[in-house]
Amino acid sequence: MAIPPGTYTLGPGDGTLTVRTGKAGAAAKAGHNLVIEVTRWEASLEVGDGGGSVALTADARSLAVRSGSGGMGALGDEEKASISQSIDDDVLKGGTIAFRSSAVEQAPGGLRVRGDLDLLGATRPVAFDLDTDDDGRLTGSIRFKQSDWGIKPFSALFGTLKVADEVEVDVDAKLPVE
Amino acid sequence: MVELDHSFSTGKPTDYNWDAILDLDRLIPCVQGGKVVERTSPTAAKAEIKVKMGAMSMTFAGTVEVVEQDDAAHRALLKVKSREVGGQGHANADVAIDLNDGGGTIHTAAQITGKAASMGEGVVVSVLDGLIKDFTQRLGQI
Repeated sequence: MAIPPGTYTLGPGDGTLTVRTGKAGAAAKAGHNLVIEVTRWEASLEVGDGGGSVALTADARSLAVRSGSGGMGALGDEEKASISQSIDDDVLKGGTIAFRSSAVEQAPGGLRVRGDLDLLGATRPVAFDLDTDDDGRLTGSIRFKQSDWGIKPFSALFGTLKVADEVEVDVDAKLPVE
Repeated sequence: MVELDHSFSTGKPTDYNWDAILDLDRLIPCVQGGKVVERTSPTAAKAEIKVKMGAMSMTFAGTVEVVEQDDAAHRALLKVKSREVGGQGHANADVAIDLNDGGGTIHTAAQITGKAASMGEGVVVSVLDGLIKDFTQRLGQI
């Protein structure tokens, strides 16, 4: 479904922005695949007849681990909080997370978006599709390597257990009714 | 049984390194996550090591003892016996340290059982290798 023309502002009240990470290294079996929710973010979406624009900013200190799969044991609340703390202290350090589109085209299922993603001060081009359904649900997904933005993936156990370089970021939101 | 060999250099005289190796209060904290719980004799201590795996961790508690000591050749054999706290696993090791001028070699023969061993020998070797390399770097700083 095409997104109706208009200006939309989205945030945590309208849906979820989720980061999914995998694991790597010789001791990968001991680690968890994580689902991490960004709890403070804001996006704006402008849709016109010929295109539009998309922008998003997220608070790097608002990532909260929601679940973990695999690993040597189940993640409890304490471990989840500890990982969120490590993300804050060792990885994102409260840096910038911002996306701004450079080109937005109408596509059969929604919008095709290209633009620049600024992570912790490094900016790289990215592209993704935003799909909508008849109920106004908006979904999109992007995969990228942390190292392309100069981010060293978190590692433990003397480097034998690492967060995989490639992460996935998903947005799943409901377009606000104007 | 996993056997590993490492060499290290501290840039310090052999006599200095020899004293450091035999001083368990200084030696045990050189193992990341390791601490002395209680000295039980001049050559033995109760100790524990907390191995952090990101947010999760495993703690092993047991004893470290210098069982052989050749002052002339600067050669010592340490025996580590430990049990996983709250688990069924064990981590035991014979650590032979042989000093030469400004450094030395370490031969480790370790036996790991339980949850840690269930990850496979390759993982155990990788983690032990990392642990010992980190240990040798810290040795140079004591």
